Amino acid sequence: MFMPAILYIVALVGVPFVMAFVYSVSDAKVGSVHYHFVGLKNFIDILHNPTFIRSLENSFLFTISSQILVLIGSTILALALRDAFPGRRFLRFLILLPWVAPVSIGSLGWKWILDSLYSVITWVLVRMHLVNQFDAPMWLGEPKLAMMSVILVHTWHMMPFATVILLAGLTAIPSEIPEAAAVDGAGFFRTLFQITIPMMLPIINVAVLFGAIFTFTDMTVIYILTRGGPYDTTQVIPSEAFFTGILGSDLAEGAAISIFLVPVLVIAAYLALRSAHRAEVT
Amino acid sequence: MSDQSGRKISRRKFVKVTGTAVAAAGLTSAFLFPEKALAQQKTLKIVQWSHFVPGYDKWFDGVFTKEWGAKHNTNVIVDHIAIGEINARAAAEVSAKKGHDLFMFLSPPAAYEHQVLDHRDVYEEVKTKHGSPIDLAVKSTYNPKTKKFFAFSDSYVPDPGNYRQDLWSQVGYPHGPDTWEQLLDGGRKIRKDPKLGNPVGIGLSQELDTNMAMRALLWSFGGSVQDANGNVALNSKHTLDAVKFMRELYRETETPEVFSWDPSSNNRGILAGKLSYVANAISVTRSAEKDNPEMSKQIQLRPALKGPVRRIASEHVMDCYVIWDFAENKEGAKQFLVDLINDFETAFKASEFYNFPCFPPTVPNIKTLLGSDPKAVPSDKYAILGDVLSWATNIGYPGYATAAIDEVFNTFVIPTMFAKAARDEMTPEAAVKAADQECRRIFGKWK
Repeated sequence: MFMPAILYIVALVGVPFVMAFVYSVSDAKVGSVHYHFVGLKNFIDILHNPTFIRSLENSFLFTISSQILVLIGSTILALALRDAFPGRRFLRFLILLPWVAPVSIGSLGWKWILDSLYSVITWVLVRMHLVNQFDAPMWLGEPKLAMMSVILVHTWHMMPFATVILLAGLTAIPSEIPEAAAVDGAGFFRTLFQITIPMMLPIINVAVLFGAIFTFTDMTVIYILTRGGPYDTTQVIPSEAFFTGILGSDLAEGAAISIFLVPVLVIAAYLALRSAHRAEVT
Repeated sequence: MSDQSGRKISRRKFVKVTGTAVAAAGLTSAFLFPEKALAQQKTLKIVQWSHFVPGYDKWFDGVFTKEWGAKHNTNVIVDHIAIGEINARAAAEVSAKKGHDLFMFLSPPAAYEHQVLDHRDVYEEVKTKHGSPIDLAVKSTYNPKTKKFFAFSDSYVPDPGNYRQDLWSQVGYPHGPDTWEQLLDGGRKIRKDPKLGNPVGIGLSQELDTNMAMRALLWSFGGSVQDANGNVALNSKHTLDAVKFMRELYRETETPEVFSWDPSSNNRGILAGKLSYVANAISVTRSAEKDNPEMSKQIQLRPALKGPVRRIASEHVMDCYVIWDFAENKEGAKQFLVDLINDFETAFKASEFYNFPCFPPTVPNIKTLLGSDPKAVPSDKYAILGDVLSWATNIGYPGYATAAIDEVFNTFVIPTMFAKAARDEMTPEAAVKAADQECRRIFGKWK
């Protein structure tokens, strides 16, 4: 019964993972015909590469920042969508769209919105005489603005997923509890911080940990919006691995970069599964 | 007796019946198994980029390959992919040991040397009819250490300067800038003029056009990534001067948008009337002729800018075909390349002068064609490309295009060096030193 799923995971996850590990301890290039074991040389080499160090820092910054924003945004959205109101279903559908639509298409849309020449945001600011046409903010050209842009676009993409999870958790809270709190005189924020959020903590953990894993391992938004630029200031581990391993032809170093965070991700995955289990039990 | 006579079959009847049966069997099997009917026909699979000039793909897919296929009883299948997908696709084909017979790269694919045939015999075959290939083609497809041609180059794309004549005329340069110093001087005047304000559009991003423009600047100041023998030579006074110059050029004439560009951004910028100068292939002027005829009259071309040491620029794109070791139709692929060169004049015209020949005698009247283009205003707009080989060179200049050079190119070490200094993220000295160290690290891996 589980055989198709097992085959799928082995073929599409297990085999590439094993190959990445095998490559990472070799000197394999894209055109190599022989395999030479080099031990941990690639891992030592990348630690001396300033671009890799920057990518590592950016990966954490990108993941942590976007997950904080996702958590805040999805909690607000989940609370807003909890109670029935006319058009709620339609609104839920709209909010889910960024998650359902291919991330590449969404990112291309944002690329044009943030484009140096055709940015609709810049156009509005210029028309309002808030900025000069030739000195407008370069959303993807200034390191800080570029990092902010990729974080916000990724947040936009990830928020629906977290919202759906939190919404499920929210609706599972028995209505008697907040009602009893209201009778006892608890206001909205007191109920939120002392009842709702503590009760949803296991499910919030699930949303955050799954989101963090997705974010750590994804390069689509960054690849489409900035390609890691300006001058590597938005480079993250997956994009650096792609540039080195595929475009730069050094498969071994690319593989070493890509599996560098595996220990961190394994711990995150373990915590995610544990949280999911606890959420299921409660 | 009558039984015997009843069983007797005349020779005529036998031939008729068996003939009909054989014909029927043949027709039936041909109907049911058409691939068997075409067993004699070979297949040639080609993958290449979606050409910037749609007319080229129309000619290549719809005319040349069809005629070639009919002549050689071969079913030619052409797949087109986007520029950004080429390397990933090549890596996938090599990994699977399966794919196309002819794979076209847009830069020298030295890293794949062990996975491809030696293309020497294709060069030799073409040479007998059209003479030797240009040095640019050899330096882009030959490994002097292994003596192997790891690719075959049919054409390259020049990388001239594109300037707005109306703007540059107002600051004393009616024919555009001729040197990097003039670009700085005129670009500054245009940028600072309150009535104009247009920035220069030399990219500082992690993309193809920036890679080319920064190499042109580096070389024209006398610097280079490697020397003629393939040793890293980046950390030099010449490189430092080039980096300092770019820092000033950025600060005086550009905006931070140059850090966010993709390969089409400078095209869009100058076509939209925003930029005063860009370094790009003739895609800029061809787009203008098609979509913006008024702007087309204003955008003119210049040869590579001259620096303190020389006038030089990289090719913009280097067409490099490879035949994989695992290709199923190697002989067909070789013959196809030979015949493509034999018909290169048509290819040159179909590309609207975008693809320049690596075997110049294939387009003997190239200067006449460039000097009288019906779409150009003035009609000799493209004449400056007539002596392109005096200033165009290969990636890896003054050495060969090696795998290490390819990795330096594709990981954008040089644009990053210039960009960090331009933004004061690093001092010019520190930026050059960091880039030199990175080049040494990369070269060390490929030794």
